[in-house]
Amino acid sequence: MPLFREAGIVEDPWQKLGDDAAVPADGMVLVSFTRWREARAALLARRGPVGVALANTDPVEALASDISRLDLIVLHFPKFSDGRAYSQARLLRERLGYQGELRATGGVLQDQAPFMLRCGFDAFESDQKGFGEALAKARTLFSVVYQPTEDGRAPASLLRLGRRNVRTTV
Amino acid sequence: MAKNLSGDLTIASANRLTDGVVVFLDDAGEWTKRLDRAAIARDKRAGEILLERARAEGFGVIDPFLVAVSEDDDGVIEPISLREKIRASGLTFDAIAADAVRYA
Amino acid sequence: MPDTHFYRYDDYDRTLVAERVEQFRDQVRRRLSGELTEEQFKPLRLTNGLYLQLHAYMLRIAIPYGTLSSRQLRKLADIARKYDRGYGHFTTRQNLQLNWIKLEDAPDALAALAEVDMHAMQTSGNVIRNVTADHFAGAAIDEIEDPRIWCEIVRQWSTLHPEFSFLPRKFKIAVTGSPNDRAAVRVHDIGLRLWRNEQGEVGFEVIVGGGLGRTPMIGKTLREFLPKDELLAYLEATLRVYNRYGRRDNLYKARIKILVHEIGAEMMREDVEAEYAETKDGALRLPAETIEAIARQFAPPALPHRPAVVGAVEALKLEDRDFALWLKSNVSAHRLAGYRIVTASLKPAGAPPGDASSVQMEGMADIADAYSHGEIRVSHEQNLVFPHVAVEDLPAVWRALGRLGFAEANVGKITDIIACPGLDYCALANARSIPVAQSISNHFAGLARQHDIGDLKIKISGCINACGHHHVGHIGILGVDKNGVELYQISLGGDVDFGKTALGTILGPAVAADKVVEAVDALVATYLDARGEGERFVDTYRRIGAQPFKDRVYAAV
Repeated sequence: MPLFREAGIVEDPWQKLGDDAAVPADGMVLVSFTRWREARAALLARRGPVGVALANTDPVEALASDISRLDLIVLHFPKFSDGRAYSQARLLRERLGYQGELRATGGVLQDQAPFMLRCGFDAFESDQKGFGEALAKARTLFSVVYQPTEDGRAPASLLRLGRRNVRTTV
Repeated sequence: MAKNLSGDLTIASANRLTDGVVVFLDDAGEWTKRLDRAAIARDKRAGEILLERARAEGFGVIDPFLVAVSEDDDGVIEPISLREKIRASGLTFDAIAADAVRYA
Repeated sequence: MPDTHFYRYDDYDRTLVAERVEQFRDQVRRRLSGELTEEQFKPLRLTNGLYLQLHAYMLRIAIPYGTLSSRQLRKLADIARKYDRGYGHFTTRQNLQLNWIKLEDAPDALAALAEVDMHAMQTSGNVIRNVTADHFAGAAIDEIEDPRIWCEIVRQWSTLHPEFSFLPRKFKIAVTGSPNDRAAVRVHDIGLRLWRNEQGEVGFEVIVGGGLGRTPMIGKTLREFLPKDELLAYLEATLRVYNRYGRRDNLYKARIKILVHEIGAEMMREDVEAEYAETKDGALRLPAETIEAIARQFAPPALPHRPAVVGAVEALKLEDRDFALWLKSNVSAHRLAGYRIVTASLKPAGAPPGDASSVQMEGMADIADAYSHGEIRVSHEQNLVFPHVAVEDLPAVWRALGRLGFAEANVGKITDIIACPGLDYCALANARSIPVAQSISNHFAGLARQHDIGDLKIKISGCINACGHHHVGHIGILGVDKNGVELYQISLGGDVDFGKTALGTILGPAVAADKVVEAVDALVATYLDARGEGERFVDTYRRIGAQPFKDRVYAAV
C-alpha cells in the first residue's frame, strides 16, 4: 500500500513485527499495542526506533510516559466513516505532546485529508487513485478555519481579535 | 381482474444519480421512468439475474434493488408495497403550486 | 447588505462557505464521473445537506437559530423556484427543505445560497447539526439572555470541526434563554439552558442525552451551572467522550443518549469533567471580546416607542371575530408593551403543514420589511414568526397574512399540527402523515370550535424515527405498517412546553387510517365532557388518566 506524506509518495522504512516474532536488536520496528504492553522495556532498550500501531479503541493515554521515545504511531480507520482515530490523533499531539510520525491507515480517502492534517496526521497509507495529488493540496483547500488545533492555524475568532498566536495546548 | 400477489414477480428499480428520479430497468437494460416498460422477472432465479443485470448497469443510478409487483389480466403491473406504489406514482396529495398565493 | 439584527457574516465566514461550495462542486464532479463510489460520496453530500428521499434528493438548508432576513427569505423563494418545484417545507429543527433538487444542480443552488450568507453545511450526516434556539429569542418577555449568541458561537466551533466530522451518529444541540423552554432542550443530544444564579451570574445548565426516535429519553443534567466563557471547552470535552466511546456497532444504539443510558449519568459526568479539566484553560476559552463582538450583532433593532393600546385595534377586535381570535392564538407578548410577536400559521385548513410556496415566501418577506424590521423566524412547530410587530400594525399584518393564507387563527390549537413528511416523501417512513394531518385539519377547521377546544398539540410521525416529535405531542400519532396496511398508534400526554418535558403513553391498539379522525373526535369529546375550569386537554388527561379516553376511542373506531 502506498505511503504518502504531503511532499509526495515515500518508501516505508519501518519493519512490521508480528506479535510472536523476536524483537530484533536494531532497526526500525513497528509493533502492535498488545506487543508494546508486553515487551515495552525490551523494545525501548534496543538501539533502533520503535513505533506502535493502535486500534482505534486502544487508550492513547497508555503511551503518555513514553511518548518522547516513540518515533512512529500508527492509527487505524476501520472504515473511513469511523472517526475515533481523529480524537486519538489530537490527544497524542496536543495532550501528550507527541512529535514523531503520526500515520493514518485503513479507510484513508482524499476527501478526509484536510481533517486528518488538522488533527495532526502527517503520513497516510492509501490506495485511492489520486490521493497523493489531493493530499498535496489538502492543507490549503480551506483558507479559513474555525477551531484551534495543533496545526497552529489561527482560527477566525482569533484573527478577528487581531491576534495571530495560537495556544497549541487544548 | 385477477392479480398475482404471490411476490414471484419482480422488477428492478433505483434512483437516478443526477437527479434522484425513480427509474426502472427495461428489457433493453436501460433505465426508464416508465413503470409499464419495466422488465419483469417471473420467478426467484429470474429475479436474481435481473438484479445482477441492474447492478451491472449501475453506473448512473444509486443502489438498484428488486420491487415485488402484481400483474392484472391486462398485463398492467403495480408494486405491491405502499412505499413502492408511492415511489412509482408520486405524492398522494396536491403539493402547493409554485405560483400559489394560497393553498388551493 | 442591509442592516440585520443578528450575526452578519464577515469575510472569514463568507470565504469558508465559498470554499466549501467549491469543494463540493468537485466532489459532485467526481461522483458523476464514477471516481467516487456512492459509499464514499454519501457522507460528503449529507454534510452538504443533500438527502435522498423516495422520489428525489432533498436539500435541507440551514437557518441558524431559525432567524432569517427578508433578503434571505426572498433568495430561498428564488432557489425553490429555480432549482425545485417552487415550494419548501419549514422543519421542526428550523431548517427549510426543498424536495426535488437535482444533484447536478446542487452546487449552483449552494452557490446561490452563499450569495445571501446561507448554506446547507452539516444539516445531515453524523456531525453536529444546526443549533436551534427559541424562536422568540430577542423578543420574548421572559428572556434572560438571547440564546442565539451562543448558537452562533457553537455554529462556528462545530462547522468543519476536524475531530468531530465522523461521529457515531448525528448530534443535535438546542439553546434556550428563557425558563419557558421553547427550544425543547431536554430532548436534544445536548441542551443548553441559560439561567441566572444567586450571585446574579448568567451561565448554562448543560443537559445531555435527550432525544426522541426509537428510544425516547429525557436528557440528564451534566452540569448545573457552567460559566459562559467555558462553553466551547465543555462541549469539546463532551463531544470527545462521545466520539471515543459512543457505540458504532449498531445504528440504532449510536446516539449519545444510549451512551448515557448504558454507563449512567454519573459516569458520563465523571468522564466529561475529567476531559474538561484538560480543555478548560486551553485555546477554547472564549475571550470576553469575542463574546461581546457576537452579542452586539444580536442587539435588537431600535424599536421606537409605540402605544400599547390602540383604538383602531380595539375596535377591530370587537367588530371582527376572526381578528379577535387571531389576536388570542397567534399573537404573543413582547418585552415591549407597544409590540407583539406574531406567528404566521403555515397550517391553513387542509394544507400540508409547514409548507410555503415561493410566492408565499416572498409575501412574507414583504410583510417583514414593512412591519417587522426585515426579520422572520422559523419556529419548531413548522410555522413562521415576525418577532417585532407594533400593536398599531396588527390589523395590517393580519390582512396581509390573510392574503397569503397564513392568517388562520389556529396557533397552538388542534389544527396547528406538526407532521413529518412521512411516506409521501421519506424512504424511512412506514406510513403517510401529511394526508392524516390534512384530514384532521379539515375536520376541525371551524375556528370557534378550535378555540373552545383550546390548546391541543397534535404531532404526527410516519415512523419510529419520530421526526414529527409524536412522543411529545398532547396527542401523538405514530404511523406503522402492518402487513402492508397503514395503521396509526395514538399516545396521550406528551409535552415540551413551559419547562415541562414528558413523553406520551400509548392509548391502545393502532387504528386504521380512515378511523383516525373519529379517534381524535372521541378524544376531544372525552375532554370536553370532563374538563374542569381552565383545564387544557393535556391537563384533563393528567387529572383523569387514560381510561375514559381509551373507552371512548375504542367504542368509536
